[in-house]
Amino acid sequence: MSRFFRRRKYCRFTAEGITEVDYKDVELLKAYITETGKIVPSRITGTKAKYQRQLAKAVKRARYLALLPYTDAHK
Amino acid sequence: MRHYEVVFMVHPGQSEQVPGMIERYSNLITQGGGAVHRVEDWGRRQLAYPINKIFKAHYAMLNIECGLDTLEELSDAFRFNDAVIRNMIMGRKQADLGESPIMKIENESKERKTREESRAARAESKATEATPKPAASEPASEAASAAEQGA
Repeated sequence: MSRFFRRRKYCRFTAEGITEVDYKDVELLKAYITETGKIVPSRITGTKAKYQRQLAKAVKRARYLALLPYTDAHK
Repeated sequence: MRHYEVVFMVHPGQSEQVPGMIERYSNLITQGGGAVHRVEDWGRRQLAYPINKIFKAHYAMLNIECGLDTLEELSDAFRFNDAVIRNMIMGRKQADLGESPIMKIENESKERKTREESRAARAESKATEATPKPAASEPASEAASAAEQGA
């Protein structure tokens, strides 16, 4: 029995009917990376596996194009 | 013929050349029997991390439909152009139309800026006209705008 009430995790992409995760939507992707720039695992965010795969790819593309950082240790 | 999305980043010093480059590459594609479906100029953007000690870059994106030989020509053009610091070509299933999220944000910020500027200009004109009532009541502002139109 968990003593603390946790907010229900839900998959934002399923809920909002997003068909494809776009690497150009930087504001959306920022919600799925940590302060250090890592991709947040789906067990934390509750993202469905299908969208987690797309998300990972989108984040990696955005990183290559310097839209997102690889790490907080740049410079 | 397949659909591709092409993004390239240009050295900020060569920022003025970007419209010319877009046109040159578009010509290359259309001459190769392809089509350009969407062109976006994202302008100069701050990089998330420095690349070769550069902190800003001019981004441009093309959504194209072309054959493999044309695509190879395009990627060669990127490789031999020193102004292009990075490029990415991705396969797409369909032609992408409409605004990309980045362009949407850019346009919104631009719009906000122009709106703020026009508001500032209006406030200034109101101040210079020096209406007897300092509080901006409805009729006063209407009169001011009417005067503006008359002038």
